[in-house]
Amino acid sequence: MQPEKFYYDNKIVRNFGIATVVWGIIGMTVGLIIAIQLYHPAMNMGNQYTSFGRVRPLHTNAVIFAFVGNAIFMGVYYSLQRLLKARMFSDLLSNIHFWGWQLIIVSAVITLPLGLTTSHEYAELEWPIDIAITIIWVIFGINMFGTIFKRRERHLYVAIWFYIATFVTIAVLHIVNSIELPVTFWKSYMVFAGVQDALVQWWYGHNAVAFFLTTPYLGMMYYFLPKMANRPIYSYKLSILHFWALIFLYIWAGPHHLLYSTLPGWAQSLGVAFSIMLIAPSWGGMINGLLTLRGAWDKVRDDVVLKFMVVGLTAYGMATFEGPMLSLKQINAIAHFSDWIIAHVHTGALGWNGFLTFAILYWLIPRIYKTELFSKKLASFHFWIGTLGILFYVVPMYWAGFTQSLMLKEFTAEGMLKYPNFLETTLRIIPMHVVRSIGGSMYLLGVIVMAYNLTRTALQGKLVANEAAQAMPLEPVHTIARDSTWHRMLERKPIQFMMLALLVILVGSFVELMPTLTISSNIPTIASVKPYTPLELQGRDLYIREGCSNCHSQTVRPFRSETERYGEYSKAGEFVYDHPFLWGSKRTGPDLARIGGKYGNSWHYNHMMDPRLMSPGSIMPNYDWLLTQTLDTTTTVAKINAMRTLGVPYAPGYEKIANKDLDKQAQGIADNLAKDHIKVKNNKEVIAIIAYLQRLGTDIKANKTANNN
Amino acid sequence: MFKQFTENISGNQVYLISSLGIFLIFFIVVTVLLIRLRKSHVDYMSDLPLEDSTTNSSKSFES
Repeated sequence: MQPEKFYYDNKIVRNFGIATVVWGIIGMTVGLIIAIQLYHPAMNMGNQYTSFGRVRPLHTNAVIFAFVGNAIFMGVYYSLQRLLKARMFSDLLSNIHFWGWQLIIVSAVITLPLGLTTSHEYAELEWPIDIAITIIWVIFGINMFGTIFKRRERHLYVAIWFYIATFVTIAVLHIVNSIELPVTFWKSYMVFAGVQDALVQWWYGHNAVAFFLTTPYLGMMYYFLPKMANRPIYSYKLSILHFWALIFLYIWAGPHHLLYSTLPGWAQSLGVAFSIMLIAPSWGGMINGLLTLRGAWDKVRDDVVLKFMVVGLTAYGMATFEGPMLSLKQINAIAHFSDWIIAHVHTGALGWNGFLTFAILYWLIPRIYKTELFSKKLASFHFWIGTLGILFYVVPMYWAGFTQSLMLKEFTAEGMLKYPNFLETTLRIIPMHVVRSIGGSMYLLGVIVMAYNLTRTALQGKLVANEAAQAMPLEPVHTIARDSTWHRMLERKPIQFMMLALLVILVGSFVELMPTLTISSNIPTIASVKPYTPLELQGRDLYIREGCSNCHSQTVRPFRSETERYGEYSKAGEFVYDHPFLWGSKRTGPDLARIGGKYGNSWHYNHMMDPRLMSPGSIMPNYDWLLTQTLDTTTTVAKINAMRTLGVPYAPGYEKIANKDLDKQAQGIADNLAKDHIKVKNNKEVIAIIAYLQRLGTDIKANKTANNN
Repeated sequence: MFKQFTENISGNQVYLISSLGIFLIFFIVVTVLLIRLRKSHVDYMSDLPLEDSTTNSSKSFES
């Protein structure tokens, strides 16, 4: 048999590489802006399109799906071709994938600042974009499996298993978490409500971390680290165990994002137990990576690429040890909703994803341009400023998280809250936020230096767009001996492999999601909880548009420190009409689950105009456009109908009179404001959001009043 | 420390016990697979990324 000649496609790798760097700089710059907004409200720039609540999702989406996403595709397209000894299946599909993905990112950059959002974290994009993501993801899958089918290497290396698991699991997660009912072209309601919606969202959110930020990067580590160190992976057997254990365990751990919430207790316990077990495969992977460098540590001293890998792997080890610790209820009680979580995710994002991406870029760009890196000194500078940047970022955030949480939980000897005013705790941690933004700037500076270094590298070389290679074609299957072991056989059968991986992730998903989604006794209902009025529903959608849930939670945990501060702890039955749930995951400001009736309408009006009028020193942006913008009531009918379809018991035909009810309630609030000498028309957006805020958490009080009577 | 977990599970042991069962079976299966792997195959697989099938680079064409 003659060896076959073929060419690797380096151009698509280069394109994804450029996109990685460009979106990385954009995403991190946005991150820096919102970090400064948290101590300098003027950085919200006085308009709605750049306010924190709308721009924070832009930062997370840009760094996760644009920076990391493009880096994944860069790494996969480079390593897949070489591990399979084949060019990508179709250049056309590669290009559609590339441009389609960039278009999706651009649509996110446009729609998120416009306030078009589902409010599901890391899944904020509205339904038309969700469909586009599905299509492009399937194209990526076809291209990957097409390449696998025409491969010249029979056995699939462990990196490819991670890519296959990434493909299939992200597909499942994306589809299930995007089950939404379109109301208009840019507005939809989640099909699940309250507790169920929260469970689905955090099953997604947790596993997006697992299968977008972790598994593809582990696959890349298993390919690029042996390449960089020029030695095989420490233990291939460990990598098999690592793979199966990781994908099996990860999928169960989602509920640790919902501890002390109204999620059924058994589901919380299950999430904790599996989170603890996750340490084993995560550290197995890290140890496998670090031990690959055994006997080669002298190389690490000279090779900046390996330095990035070592710090990246160490950050992975720290983040994956910390994660399970954070899932312990006692630790979670302090860490959840605080800056500690921001520190935790940035150890992973800046250290693991960032540094692995930089290592691969520094290794790969000179190779596909057939040249040397332009400046090792600049790369070394990038390494040090990046490492210091991470430290300056995470240390103040840990400090801030501890400080604020402990202040919020502190009681005086008399049994009163020591800091009854939430704002006092916010102001205390501002210095830490300032230092954090300095850390972030250092990290960003490193990336800009890298962009310069890589550009100069590319300019001094010439892209080998099609790299010649040769390999023996595969023998027909019947000529090879029957494999003695099952796993060895599995490594030759990609479709069976994918189905098995799918099965493995579905087991946990099924056990965890199904009981809560199907058995009604898991969500006790409360008779006095009624659907939102049309005005409140519109106000709720404004709350979603402005991204209020990025800073304000809507769930009171059963701690005395919280029931004293906010009121009665939250019950599952209170959220049955919440499509989507709005519990939030961070308390930059106080919880709002029981805000209804706490302040007068005029307080809210003035607070929206300028929060500092009511709370001097507040870091909340002004929402003055709510005072002048007219509420769009043309959508009321569609919204009522959609909610009814989802099971909210609005009476038949109610949509016809809904706007009349809306006007009546709005007039009531306008009249009430007029008593406080605030002149505002009843059709302004601020009226709707006041109506919604005043409703929050009050249904359960109505129950009590009724019982007392 | 774990008291709160055990208190939570009353009436719902079925979910937790079945999860434990699934977990144990899964790990026993993976362990058996690993033990049965041949060394020659393991060496072959770990060398896959280091193989370089690229021919003389002068034959590559640029665009």
